[in-house]
Amino acid sequence: MSAVIEARGLSKRYGKRMAVDGIDFTIPAGRIVGLIGPNGSGKTTTLKAALGLIPFEGQLSVLGHDPRTQRDALMQDVCFIADVAILPRWLRVGDAIDFVAGVHPRFNREKAERYIAHTKLQPSMKVKEMSKGMIVQLHLALVMAIDAKLLVLDEPTLGLDIIYRKQFYQNLLEDYFDEHKTIVITTHQVEEVEHILTDLMFIRDGRIVLAASMEEIGERYVEVMVPQEKLSAANALQPIDRRTVFGKAVMLFDAGPGGASRQQLAALGETRNPSVADLFVATMKGTYA
Amino acid sequence: MISDKNANTMQWLLRREFWEHKGSMFWAPLIVGALLVVLMGGTLAYAITVHGIPEHMMVNGHWINDPRLAAALPDKTTIAAGMLAVGAYMGASAPLFAILTGAVFFYCLGALYDDRRDRSILFWKSLPVSDPMTVLSKAIMAMIVAPVITIALAAVAAMALILIASMALGAQGLNLFSGLLTSPELYLSPLRAVALLPVYVIWALPTVGWLLLVSSWAKSKPLLWAVGVPVVALIVIKWINAALENFSGQTLLLAHYASDVVARILGGIVPGIWFTFPGNAPHAAHMTTHPIDAGGLLSISYHSLAGPDAWIGVAMGVAMLYGAIRMRRWRDEG
Repeated sequence: MSAVIEARGLSKRYGKRMAVDGIDFTIPAGRIVGLIGPNGSGKTTTLKAALGLIPFEGQLSVLGHDPRTQRDALMQDVCFIADVAILPRWLRVGDAIDFVAGVHPRFNREKAERYIAHTKLQPSMKVKEMSKGMIVQLHLALVMAIDAKLLVLDEPTLGLDIIYRKQFYQNLLEDYFDEHKTIVITTHQVEEVEHILTDLMFIRDGRIVLAASMEEIGERYVEVMVPQEKLSAANALQPIDRRTVFGKAVMLFDAGPGGASRQQLAALGETRNPSVADLFVATMKGTYA
Repeated sequence: MISDKNANTMQWLLRREFWEHKGSMFWAPLIVGALLVVLMGGTLAYAITVHGIPEHMMVNGHWINDPRLAAALPDKTTIAAGMLAVGAYMGASAPLFAILTGAVFFYCLGALYDDRRDRSILFWKSLPVSDPMTVLSKAIMAMIVAPVITIALAAVAAMALILIASMALGAQGLNLFSGLLTSPELYLSPLRAVALLPVYVIWALPTVGWLLLVSSWAKSKPLLWAVGVPVVALIVIKWINAALENFSGQTLLLAHYASDVVARILGGIVPGIWFTFPGNAPHAAHMTTHPIDAGGLLSISYHSLAGPDAWIGVAMGVAMLYGAIRMRRWRDEG
């Protein structure tokens, strides 16, 4: 199948500020894409545009539909948790399941009930009686039981305990994901999703600064533990980031075309693949200043 | 196939509305109806048991002298029973319809606003339910489901009142049961209320359309916008009109209609509003001085649809509902 999401010159302006500034990207089917960026970088705006929730400029095709004009068709195959959506306070667990089962042809009630059985939620419970974590559990149980071609999760685990977060991502990978599905995730807790991602997109100030598969990133970026005596040699190779761990310098290099070669870096010290969080911090340097 | 799916979705959307508004649309009229039965029925039963059957009683504007004597004449009993039935239906309906008016007004104001305020709109929009379906479900809830619930509860309350009154009378030796059971009023009254529903929908459309439009549009304080805009517009028009009249002796044509337009935009959901508008006014005056002829109400009501007034309102209401749908499309947060 061709691209699930294809954006060309996608822009969104709020007043004078460009929230998304003419970005291009393609997300093929069967990928789990992490859309990572600081607050206000345009992540949520990009996702909302793809879900037909806001008007935008440029071209954007999601599952072959234009989200601006074909949202109703699009929503048959897309499901999302966008921008910390909140469930209505009056909704009961049992009614929520009945309703989604009633209106969504791809909803698997048995699956939702199985997820809910693993929590403290009771069918008669109302959302207003639940803790924040329980609300997220209910929302995730509903969404995960929908067999959508594209699942968009904007900060899906916010407010969830760490045990349930791990459980959720495990379910997402083992129980939900297959080669016909595509998942786009944004989160602040990068370290929790990096093992399940197949692709990364870093977004900063409304622009995509890095878009690559995890394999490409593994090939391209190298982290080196540089001993004291080789510091000047390492600095000469222009590391993109450096930090100190237990008195040892840890440097991040771009070993892509035009950068340092792997042999050069191996000579400097112990090499390893950087974590997404370290790569993110290096890439976003300056945005938080 | 597609219409099946839409009908199914609509049924779930209406259920959702009922879950959310069970309090104002079911429990409130139920509790008031129950209180009504207890208080009115209790007073009636007490009065009949303690003071005996009154020499004459006024039912719905008719004085019936000495019902015990009248009871000897079967046709009089039937009339008395019929009047009791109509009176009970009217008595039980009036307070419940007043509650309905308030409930529908605030329901419409919040219908497309509350979920934007608490941001749960993003959850509803993550499901395959189109904006027209959502807005339509709210309009159907306001104009059909809520009134039907009220009519049903009013009928039950009226039945209970009739039963209490007949039992109290029966204990005094006046048996109205057979008269009641053969009285067409007993069966026709709730049917008439249901038959009035299409008239109600037509007259309620401009108000429901306006309130849903404001509900879909307002970023905050929908009540203030919904009431403020028409009222301020009315004051401005009246003021300009008065100034013009002083100055040039002319009046604005618009000023003649402004009050009616505002009344219909805000008051269309009041059951029976159609009796108060021009064309129907003579009937309305007639009604206040004479006993209510329940069958006549129906024909007067349908007669109110003959003029262009009602249908201009329908066109406006439909246009405003369309506007509410269009607004809803790009509204993702409050």
